[in-house]
Amino acid sequence: MEILQFLILPFLASLILTGIHAYLGVHVVERGVIFVDLALAQIAALGATTAILIGMDPHGTGAYWMSLGFTFVGAGIFTFVRSRQKRIPLEAFIGITYAVASAAAIIAMSKATGETEHLKDMLVGNILAVSRHDVLKTALLYGAIGIFHFIFRKRFLAISLSHNSAEASPDLNVRLWDFLFYASFGFVVTSSVAIAGVLLVFCYLVVPSVGAMLFADRIGTRLAIGWTMGTLVSALGCYCSVFFDTPTGATIVCTFGAVLVLMAMVKALFFKVRQEQPQPEKIEVRQTV
Amino acid sequence: MKLRSKLFSAILSAMLIATLLLPSAAEAKKLKVITTLTDLASLTQEVGGDKVDVEALAKGYQDPHFVEPKPSFLLKLRNADLLVLVGLELEIGWLPPLITQSGNGKIQPGGQGYLDASQFAEILEIPGGNVTRAEGDVHPLGNPHYWLDPNNGRRIAKGIAAKLSALDPGDQAYFQQREQDFEKRLADADKKWMAEMAPYRNRKVVTYHRSWPNFAKHFGLDVIGYIEPRPGIPPTPSHTIELVNQMKREGVKIELIEPYFDLKTPNSIASMVNGKVVVMMPSVGGKPEITDYFKLFDYDIALLTKAFEETK
Repeated sequence: MEILQFLILPFLASLILTGIHAYLGVHVVERGVIFVDLALAQIAALGATTAILIGMDPHGTGAYWMSLGFTFVGAGIFTFVRSRQKRIPLEAFIGITYAVASAAAIIAMSKATGETEHLKDMLVGNILAVSRHDVLKTALLYGAIGIFHFIFRKRFLAISLSHNSAEASPDLNVRLWDFLFYASFGFVVTSSVAIAGVLLVFCYLVVPSVGAMLFADRIGTRLAIGWTMGTLVSALGCYCSVFFDTPTGATIVCTFGAVLVLMAMVKALFFKVRQEQPQPEKIEVRQTV
Repeated sequence: MKLRSKLFSAILSAMLIATLLLPSAAEAKKLKVITTLTDLASLTQEVGGDKVDVEALAKGYQDPHFVEPKPSFLLKLRNADLLVLVGLELEIGWLPPLITQSGNGKIQPGGQGYLDASQFAEILEIPGGNVTRAEGDVHPLGNPHYWLDPNNGRRIAKGIAAKLSALDPGDQAYFQQREQDFEKRLADADKKWMAEMAPYRNRKVVTYHRSWPNFAKHFGLDVIGYIEPRPGIPPTPSHTIELVNQMKREGVKIELIEPYFDLKTPNSIASMVNGKVVVMMPSVGGKPEITDYFKLFDYDIALLTKAFEETK
């Protein structure tokens, strides 16, 4: 099929997204900060709006650094409230940040005097039109961030898996590593959203991780399942997009949903016995509650 | 043996008939034209007749500023001999990356198969001097909704005919003849439209988006304001109140809006000024019955004259 050659770049792009996001997704799900990417993406958009407001070219480097700077401020906020406010769930602050950043962007847009259509672009993204240059740039960037996370994986994992005990240990500066996590995360999200849009990035982040948790507990196994799932869904989504001639990004998102439902059904049908045996007491508790 | 020769002669005669019925290979080759909007497709069809295969990417009821690209767009662009677009940055949000990704050298900007129709049309609202953008999200090259003036339709058709002739010189006479025929029919139709609109000359209206300056100029309407405070920005309370007061002062009752904008504010304005919201179709195919460029004006003018009658 001639049309398949158009899908090579979108497919490569979605593989890159799978690589970094399925990994970051494990952290995000463990930390219980599911919507942090939406909040950071919105903050990045606010940064871009502000850049336009003060007269910068929306596609120039100035606007890029501005939105990256805003993202780092967001990362700082999440680090700070996590360490200070234990009783209020971090997710609440993420929600508030998302709402305020969205509203501020709307206000800024109404005052800005031009090119607001690019902002809609920024949040919607368009994976079908991704260019070779974008794919290459993103691959290098995410590769670097991946290596950074691989080198310091123990520290990142320690904080994500158990924030409180990590804080108690004296040889780990939790705030610094928290900030580094959110900052690198914001870096990735800002670039990914520009390529694929908020919805698709959210799916690449959360769905593989959740799908993997249905079947495994160990981090390594979960990553393997997540990457496999992400790759298969990307291929299937691209294929469906051609087959039904539907917008590529939205089709991949719906494919993610369908595959997750399928995985949950497989789990319910075939993996029931295995789970009941090791944890019989837990199930009893659930029944009495 | 007998059967075989019968079969043989049957095949032979079938082949003979087929060659007679089918046009020769050279004649069968049609120019493949892709347009961004249905209006340009209709104009190309008028001029190109059966020597072209025309298809529009956007649907007539879609907002041409925002079109969701689909994989089939890339395939269509790849196989196109000619791409006709509105230009003036109307399609800037979605078309440029698709043209690049299509890998079709002919339709790249500046290529032989890239035709920006705005070069033929009369363009209004071109910001003079330095563009400060203080006026809002204005298109710096001028208002891109120019096809809603029959005179521009004529000019664009002429431009398309010249381009088709350049790409397919053998059919030049055919394209010229069809273009002249179209011009004649358009002139007749325009006479009828002008007569229908004549009683309402210089009537004041407001529009939602700045989409109707060419239409208003041609048919003698006076657009006194816009429901959007700036192009692309949803209505704000203070702007709406200001507009309502102005409409009351000047006795303006008619609001023109495209089908893809939200009707809430226009409806509440209508109830305040005792006026009427007219959902005009900006493009061919906006309704199933609007099948070509002529029917587009038939439809809009019928709606508009009825609304003027009702709000006298």
